[in-house]
Amino acid sequence: MIYDTIIIGGGLSGLVAGVKLASAKKRVAIITSGQSALHFLSGSIGLLSAVDGEPVSDPIASLEKLPENHPYNKIGAGRISSMAGEAADILKAAGIVVDGNAGETRYRLTPLGAWEPTWLVMDGIASCPHPSKCPWRKATVVNFHGYLDFFPEYVADGLREAGIEAECHEVKLPELVRLRKSCSEMRAASIAKILRGEVLRKLAIELNALGGDSEVLLLPAVIGLKSMQETEELQAMVKKTIRYVPVIPMSVAGVRAQSMLRNYFEKLGGTYFLGDSVSRGNFSDGRLESVHTANLGETVLEADDFILATGSFFSQGLVAKPDAIVEPVFGLDVDQTAERTERYDKNFFAPQRYMRFGVETDKEFRVSRGGKTVANLRAIGSILSGADPLKEGSGAGIALLSAVCVARKLITLN
Amino acid sequence: MDKTESTPHYDVIVIGAGATGAGTARDCAMRGLKVLLVERFDFTAGATGRNHGLLHSGARYAVTDHESAAECIRENMTLRKIASHCVEETGGLFVTLPDDDLGYQATFVESCHKAGINAEIIDPKDALRIEPAVNPDIIGAVKVPDGAVDPFRLTTANVIDAKRHGADILTYHEVTGLNMSQGRVTGVTLRDQRTGATRRMDADLVINTAGIWGHGICAMAGIKVNMFPAKGALLIFGHRVNNVVINRCRKPADADILVPGDTISLIGTTSSRVPYEECDNMEVTPQEVDILLREGCQIAPSLAYTRILRAYAGVRPLVAADNDPSGRSISRGIVCLDHATRDGVEGFITITGGKLMTYRLMAEWATDLACKKLGRTAECRTATTRLPGSETTDSDAPVSHGKRHIIELGADQKAALGRHGTMTADIEFADSNDALVCECEEVSVGEIRYAIRELHAHNLVNLRRRTRLGMGTCQGCLCACRAASILGNELGDRRQALTDLCSFLNERWKGMLPVAWGQTLVEAQFSSWLYQGVCGLDPKVLPAVRKADRTSAECDQMQQSVK
Repeated sequence: MIYDTIIIGGGLSGLVAGVKLASAKKRVAIITSGQSALHFLSGSIGLLSAVDGEPVSDPIASLEKLPENHPYNKIGAGRISSMAGEAADILKAAGIVVDGNAGETRYRLTPLGAWEPTWLVMDGIASCPHPSKCPWRKATVVNFHGYLDFFPEYVADGLREAGIEAECHEVKLPELVRLRKSCSEMRAASIAKILRGEVLRKLAIELNALGGDSEVLLLPAVIGLKSMQETEELQAMVKKTIRYVPVIPMSVAGVRAQSMLRNYFEKLGGTYFLGDSVSRGNFSDGRLESVHTANLGETVLEADDFILATGSFFSQGLVAKPDAIVEPVFGLDVDQTAERTERYDKNFFAPQRYMRFGVETDKEFRVSRGGKTVANLRAIGSILSGADPLKEGSGAGIALLSAVCVARKLITLN
Repeated sequence: MDKTESTPHYDVIVIGAGATGAGTARDCAMRGLKVLLVERFDFTAGATGRNHGLLHSGARYAVTDHESAAECIRENMTLRKIASHCVEETGGLFVTLPDDDLGYQATFVESCHKAGINAEIIDPKDALRIEPAVNPDIIGAVKVPDGAVDPFRLTTANVIDAKRHGADILTYHEVTGLNMSQGRVTGVTLRDQRTGATRRMDADLVINTAGIWGHGICAMAGIKVNMFPAKGALLIFGHRVNNVVINRCRKPADADILVPGDTISLIGTTSSRVPYEECDNMEVTPQEVDILLREGCQIAPSLAYTRILRAYAGVRPLVAADNDPSGRSISRGIVCLDHATRDGVEGFITITGGKLMTYRLMAEWATDLACKKLGRTAECRTATTRLPGSETTDSDAPVSHGKRHIIELGADQKAALGRHGTMTADIEFADSNDALVCECEEVSVGEIRYAIRELHAHNLVNLRRRTRLGMGTCQGCLCACRAASILGNELGDRRQALTDLCSFLNERWKGMLPVAWGQTLVEAQFSSWLYQGVCGLDPKVLPAVRKADRTSAECDQMQQSVK
């Protein structure tokens, strides 16, 4: 099977690159295990919220402070703004509605009641331009009885800090009590599977019965696993505005986003190899010719270009060994510290050097192997080195923008 | 800050709530003495919570230290009865590897028999059948009555029983001085680690059970006891690699014991001398990790590809006898000092040396001496009276046998029964109390609330020691915030609970850092991302960590910032 581009990894960056290439009528395949860091998404997408520990209010204006090998610098500060707009448009085209724009920071409410600076916030997730400019005077935080992955009192504390009156209520649904009979099932994704149809109508009745004079109901983000249908249905039945607060993963918003991007990709004609993984590649003359996968055996998949979007340690795109960090699929060159003691800071909350590790790439995101650039293999997303996605609040932003950047390049090349 | 208030008069004040201190408080209270047990941090915060959790048969000491071996096997048999809910009767093996001298086996077995330890030479093939994880290349094997003991449960049970017999307990109270009058110790001065307030407590007798820190307590009375701080490092693996304790049949050396415990296995230990000043903050070095892993793989080859959950180290409270730099050839024997006869200081006893296995015997010796000094004549009953959690109406059947048949219980209740034995009856499981906080170890909301209300749990580290919260494969990643939220609501201070959450995450990371590769790094990265990303947790905007809740990692950072 021959493709224009094969993308290895079906997380945020792989899917967005796939959608963009497929939109340009390219023959694209995505090879993915099916799981990705998207399943653990917070419900918001950060671009850049801090540099060297200093918060930034204007992400675009702060790009110049980033180190030279930072992915954003490879994209080029001048192009970030237009690419950010394009990335947001791709999400919207897939049906993922987002609030926010690249020039300004938004604040998302966290399950522990903090206000986390970010860029794009997914539809329905509670956020505002600034905690001091929240549109609500009074909010009701609603939790499901016996659900432990959402902390209503803490959310209420966070609201009060922003000058909003807050009260907490619990809703008891018999269908969810049954779920708790196998204790470990009371988790976001399982609840989302139950909160639909008749149960959703019961929930609406409970919510309407709460009364009170608050303008908004804040619920744990555990509704709508596949599409926005359930959240829209619920809002239609409930008088007050409903907003959602992220919970301890699995992230229902993340699973939904992945599902919507995948559907859109396939609708555009892309090929999606689900439940498969690339086992090795065939290299020749500094190019990757084809790849073998776990499921296809001796059948190889060929392409003009390849994109590696396998993620960081968490997604197994990088694997840490006692003496080295390796890229397990192709054995690519990895930016890393030699001594294992130097990888980590003793303070869990300090910047950790290992977070910056990733595959080495040139200015066009081409990877290298044994010190030599591979001409047609590019890396995108959190497998890239040079950024601290957590401390910068840049993880999802890098995933989106490096995907758009590389896809643009491949479209203009061929 | 320095407000001093007067308080009741005690017969005995026991300093240090490790196993020995808790056991001594129990024994004193059972003999009718009015007791106060004081601890500067939490129960088991020292060496008690930082060892193998091995129910020694004594075989390990049989060749080198007959007395310790004989004490061990006697206490081993006692603990199986009085602390059955803390003990797992796994059995143990002493295996000879191709590089080891098989000739040692005969000496070993003979010494075991002399000490009263039932050691039986078996065919290496049978050893493999008993324990498939053992290195298949072994050339010799001996079966011994080793087991596993949970030091956290054991200590807690002793504390609870002491309380039931009228003892008072103060955790997070540090002894800042011994009150002296005319060459006699008359009590202690305590600082409340939470409020900073100090107060004097009077007693006829003070018993020092502070382990390695007993050195400092003695110094407060101008007494010098040469403690020998010997650091021992261990690794915890992500699941039960073995179901039977595996020892190496040779003279005691590094990393030659692999012990199963609850959901995990432990390999250890190393032994190295450390300065007394470092005892408060033990860090495991990369060299120690490498030794433990290399030697461990010799005993059980599958350790090479088993996930390592964390590394930790404790300090053995040995009393220095000679200049042996390894600390191995000196006795593990019990040292009971009456400072009146030794140093001319009346009203003060130190009990030290020994080991977890002999905590009860140490307590008995100390209490015997205390009674003698106080002119009391009560008999010791701790060897025959079952501990709370191990009481059973069926006279000889240990709880652990019965519990396996209770199939109608939920997972959380079964797990709680394993941890708290008959005390599980006090845990509320109704309504939503059955919701699981810690999925790895099946700890429910009800169990967490029980620990907060009944077991002196004030923070997440305390909860971990009482319930195994956060001890499983996720190392607290998913359960820490759930437990913090319950803690915040139970104690009525949500902001402080978030500070405590940060503290707990730092403590978990400290143990993961020395082995942060493979899945362990994945877990750490996920934790960072979950707490700092999704939850936006930032210690900088939270209240300061109370001294009482500080983890060793934070103490370390503070020391560095002072430097």
